[in-house]
Amino acid sequence: MKRLTSLLAATATLLSMTALASAAETANIWVRADGSNFMPQIVEAFNKSHENQIKLDIIPNAELVQKYATSAAGGTAPDGLSLDLIYTPAFAAAGQLEDITDWAKSLAYFNDLSPAHVKTGTYKDRIYGLPFSADSSVLIWNKKLFKQAGLDPDKGPTNFAEIAADAEKVAGLSGDIKGFYFSGACGGCNIFTFTPLIWASGGDILSEDGSKATLDTPQMRDAIALYRGMVDKGLVPEGAKTDSGANFFAAFAAGNIGIAPSGAFAIGALNTQYKDIDYGVTFLPGKDGGSSSFAGGDNFVVTKGTPKLAVLKEFLDYAYSLEGQTLLASRGSLPVRGDLAKEALKDLDPRYQVAAEAMAKGRTPYSVVFNDIINSANGPWAQMVNEVFFGDDVDGAIANAQETMQGIIDAGTGQ
Amino acid sequence: MSSITAKAGAMPSQPVRRRAKVDRSHWVGLLYIAPAILLVTVFFVIPLGMTAWMSLHNWPLMGQHRFIGLDNYLAITKDTRFWNALKFTLYYTVIVTIAIFAVAFPLALFVEKPRPMASVYRTAFFMPVVVGFASASLLWAWLLNVDSGLFSPAAQQLGLTEKKFNLIATFNPAFWSIIVMVVWKVAGFTMVILMTGLQSIPTELQEAAKIDGANAWQRFRTITLPLMRRTVALALILSVAGSILAFDQFYILLRGGPRNSTITAVYWIFNQSFVSFKLGYGAALSMVLLVILVVLSLIQLRLLRNPEGT
Repeated sequence: MKRLTSLLAATATLLSMTALASAAETANIWVRADGSNFMPQIVEAFNKSHENQIKLDIIPNAELVQKYATSAAGGTAPDGLSLDLIYTPAFAAAGQLEDITDWAKSLAYFNDLSPAHVKTGTYKDRIYGLPFSADSSVLIWNKKLFKQAGLDPDKGPTNFAEIAADAEKVAGLSGDIKGFYFSGACGGCNIFTFTPLIWASGGDILSEDGSKATLDTPQMRDAIALYRGMVDKGLVPEGAKTDSGANFFAAFAAGNIGIAPSGAFAIGALNTQYKDIDYGVTFLPGKDGGSSSFAGGDNFVVTKGTPKLAVLKEFLDYAYSLEGQTLLASRGSLPVRGDLAKEALKDLDPRYQVAAEAMAKGRTPYSVVFNDIINSANGPWAQMVNEVFFGDDVDGAIANAQETMQGIIDAGTGQ
Repeated sequence: MSSITAKAGAMPSQPVRRRAKVDRSHWVGLLYIAPAILLVTVFFVIPLGMTAWMSLHNWPLMGQHRFIGLDNYLAITKDTRFWNALKFTLYYTVIVTIAIFAVAFPLALFVEKPRPMASVYRTAFFMPVVVGFASASLLWAWLLNVDSGLFSPAAQQLGLTEKKFNLIATFNPAFWSIIVMVVWKVAGFTMVILMTGLQSIPTELQEAAKIDGANAWQRFRTITLPLMRRTVALALILSVAGSILAFDQFYILLRGGPRNSTITAVYWIFNQSFVSFKLGYGAALSMVLLVILVVLSLIQLRLLRNPEGT
């Protein structure tokens, strides 16, 4: 009898252990390849310190939306997704995402979360996405080349005229050295780095609610004139004409470009992979000064109807903790909690401060057809930037893009 | 002929037996082609039916789809960017087909004749065909790269151009680069098809013509070409169909650029389906392209059928 009791007890213990083990759940999340510098690290840190686990898949940037959509149709979508914030309205409009308004509003620091993320995470007054990673556009310059060209290596350009003058001086150096670089056949790159020049001058390319395209403005023409002028003077490498984004970062990292608009991610990448490049970081200026930035990054979204919501909440809580925010910042993603930003960045490269400040002041266009009008390699924006930077007919290019863009906006998502 | 008919008439019981035989072999024949029919049904007929069905819907990649009848087809009639893409595709098809034949025919004449190392030449000309279009495009993407490629730095080093010339930055150099690449890639295949046609021409005919005093051009025009009608038809249809469906090279090498000037019909279908996520509209465009392709193929078959009807 005694033996039987102990056997029963042992069985009961075993059973309860199994029950405990199965109580620890695993949620599957995806991130685009841009996040591969910080996402595996924070998932690993979370898994080490928590009973519930996160399983991470990294998806190539260009395939993420298609892959998610097809797996959602097939019922195998991940529980959560770190999604390029500009796609959040389109995903929410398609009815793929869980409404997380109550959860979001219950966060004590909700009002300190990155406004650009929250704005794009909101669709029809409901919240579908919360800020996860952040990247702002900034201007970077090569201090070594500035010095060689007789410029003050510690002073970056602060308006259009200074950009052009500095670029010209640097391009005057011998050999393959050029003054300025941008990816001339890349819609996504130029919304990130070119529109801030327009915003800082007081213009915009879309109305606040994204219902009107407003391309033909004096501010747009000023910014175009800056780029065209530099192209005409040969300050920009020939390869820029056809760079669809592959060289967006690599061109500057090679060390023979004076000035390049870039992003906060470049700080992390240059510091870890190109330690010999001495560079400065400043704001993207307007025509006569001022500054602006594209506030980019990822929103964390939840697949509609997932049973793992609690695990995802736990993970996001961890990412929002000081520990999580510091870890993300050290890997090149700016803090998304304004109240913790200073503390999370205090031991890091001081150049991050510029990027963080740019992020706080940054803007993000809102549109449910963002991919179609801006990011698509064959969209009106990508076509226009290439035409106005390198082509002969600036007026025609702007008019054509304005018409096509408005047409796509009016047709909407067709839902 | 008449003797056979007479024989058949003398034996009235034979046709019945023969029919039974035919019937049995008929079923055996069906059995033999059953796997092919199954494959065609699963991988062609059913998907085609689904495409046609989807084309009648508003079918986003994400979210619910709903039936909208012929609205997608009505939208196509107003889709100027699709018609422009189609126009470009036809332009490309004409140019590239002429270019392929202009290269493949001389090559076929060259490798058909027995000569030392003929098989080496054949292999060499055929080699690029076994490279996939995607891999070939990636190779040429490097060759055409303005900074790290071959052509533009080489031209600069040789003093042909003063500074680096970006071959894919404007339409004409970009377009002709693609034509050269496709001819390099495809001509070997057309060459092999034409070669088999050349080899099937009886040598006696050529010799007889030679004795009658016909020169090389006359022999080519009055003997070789007419007897190759079917081979040429096959090569032409394959080339035209392949060119109208062109996508990989324009997507990988040019991304539809410079400035969206090299977007083909299939590229536009891809963009509508997987960039704009309008699967239903993409399906409707596919159906339109299918009809265009069938019509073009029928026209070619008609033009190139043997006059005798054989």
